[in-house]
Amino acid sequence: MRRSTTSIPIRKMLSATVGATVLTGLLSIVAEPAFAKDTVKIGFIGPLTGGNSAIGLGGRNSADLAVRLRNADTAAKYNYDLVGLDDECKPNVAVQAATKMAADRDIIAAVTHYCSAAAIAAIDIYHKFGLPIVVWGAVLPDITYRNQYAEVHRVNGMMINQNETNTELVSKLGYKTFAVIHDTTDYGKGHNQYFSQALAGKGGKIVGTFGVTADQQDFTAELTQIKALNPEVIYFAGLTPLAVRIRAQMDKLGVRAVFDGTSGIVSDAYIQGLGPLAEGTLAFLEGAPNAKLPGGKFFMEKYAAQKYEGPPETYGAFAYAGMDLVLNTIEKVGPDRRKVIDDMAHVKDRDSIVGKITFDDHGQNTVAVVTRYVVQDGKFVEWDDSEYASGKRKLPGQK
Amino acid sequence: MLPGAAALALATVYVIALLAVEKQPLVIGLLALAIVAVLGADRMGLLASVSRSFAEREDTLGALAILAAFVVAAFFHDNHFVLLLVVTVLIYAVAALGLNIQIGYAGVLNFAGASFFGIGAYTAAVLNAHTAVPHLLVLPTGGLIAALIGSLLLLPVLRTRGHYAAVVTIAFALLFKTFLEVNDVLGGPQGLHVQGMNIFGWSLNDNMAVGDIDLSFYLGYFVVSMAMLVGAFVLVRRLVRSWIGLNLDAMRLDETAAGCFGLDVARWKIIAFTLGNFLIGFAGALFGMVGGFVAPNNYTFADSLLLVSILLLGGIGNPWGLAVATFIVVVVPEKLQTIQEYRFLLYALLVIAVLLFRPEGLLPRPMRRYVAGWRP
Amino acid sequence: MDPGLLAQYVMNGLMLGMMYALVAVGFTLFFGVLDVIQFSHGDVLTVGAFVALATYIGLRSAGISSSPILLLAMLVVAIGAIATLGLLIARYLVLPLRAAPALNTLLITLTLGTVLRESVRLFYPQGADPKSFPALLPTSSINLGQFNLRLDNVIMLAAGAAVIVGLQLLLNRTKLGLAIRAVAQDEETARTMGINFTAIVLFTFALGSALAAFAGIMNGLYYNEINFGTGLLLGVIGFSAAIVGGLGSIYGAILGGFLFAGLQTIGAVALPFAGAYKDVFAFAVVIALMAWRPTGLIREKISERV
Repeated sequence: MRRSTTSIPIRKMLSATVGATVLTGLLSIVAEPAFAKDTVKIGFIGPLTGGNSAIGLGGRNSADLAVRLRNADTAAKYNYDLVGLDDECKPNVAVQAATKMAADRDIIAAVTHYCSAAAIAAIDIYHKFGLPIVVWGAVLPDITYRNQYAEVHRVNGMMINQNETNTELVSKLGYKTFAVIHDTTDYGKGHNQYFSQALAGKGGKIVGTFGVTADQQDFTAELTQIKALNPEVIYFAGLTPLAVRIRAQMDKLGVRAVFDGTSGIVSDAYIQGLGPLAEGTLAFLEGAPNAKLPGGKFFMEKYAAQKYEGPPETYGAFAYAGMDLVLNTIEKVGPDRRKVIDDMAHVKDRDSIVGKITFDDHGQNTVAVVTRYVVQDGKFVEWDDSEYASGKRKLPGQK
Repeated sequence: MLPGAAALALATVYVIALLAVEKQPLVIGLLALAIVAVLGADRMGLLASVSRSFAEREDTLGALAILAAFVVAAFFHDNHFVLLLVVTVLIYAVAALGLNIQIGYAGVLNFAGASFFGIGAYTAAVLNAHTAVPHLLVLPTGGLIAALIGSLLLLPVLRTRGHYAAVVTIAFALLFKTFLEVNDVLGGPQGLHVQGMNIFGWSLNDNMAVGDIDLSFYLGYFVVSMAMLVGAFVLVRRLVRSWIGLNLDAMRLDETAAGCFGLDVARWKIIAFTLGNFLIGFAGALFGMVGGFVAPNNYTFADSLLLVSILLLGGIGNPWGLAVATFIVVVVPEKLQTIQEYRFLLYALLVIAVLLFRPEGLLPRPMRRYVAGWRP
Repeated sequence: MDPGLLAQYVMNGLMLGMMYALVAVGFTLFFGVLDVIQFSHGDVLTVGAFVALATYIGLRSAGISSSPILLLAMLVVAIGAIATLGLLIARYLVLPLRAAPALNTLLITLTLGTVLRESVRLFYPQGADPKSFPALLPTSSINLGQFNLRLDNVIMLAAGAAVIVGLQLLLNRTKLGLAIRAVAQDEETARTMGINFTAIVLFTFALGSALAAFAGIMNGLYYNEINFGTGLLLGVIGFSAAIVGGLGSIYGAILGGFLFAGLQTIGAVALPFAGAYKDVFAFAVVIALMAWRPTGLIREKISERV
């Protein structure tokens, strides 16, 4: 058979063309398409699963909102990519997440932690790796004040003020005997310390202090003892899941005392978990309610427009403010960790939706307002606006 | 020797590739490739020839494996996260080796492996913070304390069999975590900070630089943990091949018969249990220093089950299989971000599958060689 | 100590003991019949509680709000589902491994427990969060000084006792119970006598798992909350209780359950401001007990083939 003399070159050409096409296709898949702007990675860490996940997810959504708004802004120099990690509100998981985030040199800065227990464990990691962070929800003072770490900053307030306000209110209402239940993490212990100090000056008496583990199920032992001690108020220093259990079991054992909590229980999950039992719970939070913040309306509108699955919850506004601050700093000095740290050392009167942010020499912002809440008809209502303040309703044992 | 060396070289290239890629589709592709390649090699009898060559030329191939590990570390010399993964694999492998002595060779059930790991870590935390014990000495001290506390369990462990023995160590695992959480002496649920390792003035927690090249500080830990793994591996291999290993095997296979033959069952159980705990504690102390943080939540019953599942997956009694299984269990969920959340579920399913269909594990323990050069 | 306070502690202990006993009895049943420790029993309990909760949510959204009907429906659905689960576990995971070394069965049930627990955490909507369980029993209570006697606790105690008594009657007075006891005593002879071994084993597993579902619902009603980790601790405690009482003996399991609860209550009373130590105390006693009596308080008669 005669061999075609033209088919071979054509076959070669065909195969070459096919090969070139395939190669180009592969290369285009593998190669990074060039954007007009460079992408900068920033991080977020919060309790995305577990009992505090509602607050963690609210914080993450809020941080995400800040990133989206910035990416939609054509004047921004960079394109931002948010990397979110879960700390499960546990110190050991927080350390792992922090290590992962800090060891990744592409992540320039991060907005981290609602749980104080998680934050206090992780700050050493941020310092070790030199990652600048802004805390958005943890209230333990030690986080910024135990060490002088240039990497650590915080936009929300601390627990000292909230306990001052707390003891003022309960003393004003005439309560004299208190029992304290606190979780054994640094968060609970910190609150216990500040509450006791604040109460000592006002003549109240603590009849018993009980430490419980953060995942404890059964409180019948502690509550039975408390029943014997018969305090007027039970002060609880811990987070929502524990608060729900303790309040429910208080009812089962017939313990009738006022349930007085910290910022850790101000969340929708507390009300959902207890239903009518939540009525009459006291709680205190640094910062004004979202509607009364300087940028509150703007924040709520933009948040609703994104149609996230859940509300921003209590600390969403702070997460947004923290992320916005980080983004502003990166825009100003560029995606370099060292430069960001240096710039954040000089934050003074920067505008944000939660008011003016100023970091002191330990990276701590001052949040002057402490809001007093009481649960009324399934909602956290400000004390002054409530029927308990006006006298229409009375807390157990209120004079 | 050739099959073994070739397998090692291929494995090194694969490991470097797997650790380097970030994009999920590539990771999944690489993993699928590995499964297909291994199954194919098994079919073609290549796996058998590799294991034979390992059995015959263990020392040379072992040296080559060490070299391979250094090549991997050199490749990732400035990548903190990958080096941390590698160091984690090495340390967990040592802990698994210790557990192997207990469960795999002596048949002493220990469901509290993570607790002894934690004892070593807490020892490191306390000693580093409050005493001037040189850090290199802290490691064996961690092992010693773990062995000592383990000896508290000796009486119940010796007297019980089977399920009853299991409940002793399970109860201890739960007791350990709860005990650490409820009192503040050892930091409570908040845990303790562990100072980084400091050998003769050289702090392992500081980054190094050789000329222009930046080196991650984890390289120092890599060298230390490599040394530890090699030491433990050699120890275990020598142990198994010796008369001690024979006694342990006899005791595991049939306690009553072994007793009839004059073996002091109690003595061997004590030795195996204590030695295993020593190794686990040793590894735990180093891991505490690498991570810089210890908390009760790191050492729960679930983590002990993880160690046991590593043993099962790799093949009970086979140190090489153990190394492979540790690598799989530690690295794969980190690389496959999508399955990170599901990793405990997937391990459990994998273990169940292994137990149902291939109870000997990935690399089953080969028959004991009584004569050099013997082929089964 | 105030008698009212003492009575409160006793009541707490009784409630806990009842739940532990129900779980321990399940363990003992499985062991007696098949010589196997079903470590996933505690997590089966969790699944039962979640199935009940899902039933409740489903029925409530369908408009039914009568408590007795809801409770009944929850019991029926959960017990039915979990009995089936137990049956499947026996059929596909435990029976095939009868010839393998005991370690394998132990490990497979342990890991199955992890599978169940993680499945609840991952696949039930927001499974990782603690979920509130409805209070479906009447909550009226009488306050006798320090002691708050609640009607729902009394009902639960009575129900639990009834279930245990019912189980005893089943085992001792019916032909089915006779078959179960025969299989537990000597498998080969029972087969020779014409008893369908597989059917009995599957039935026993279903029965034990149904008990777990009942205990799970009780747990949910008592604490008004369930979460995916509930079963792990309950399972281990139930197992320890069964061991302490001696595996293979129903009376031993019940005794073990109440004993364990008693230990925890004593721990709570003796260390008033360190109530968290009660778990440590209880587990330490279990370990010590195992050292003293390696096969439990009610001795198991073992014979080994050499």
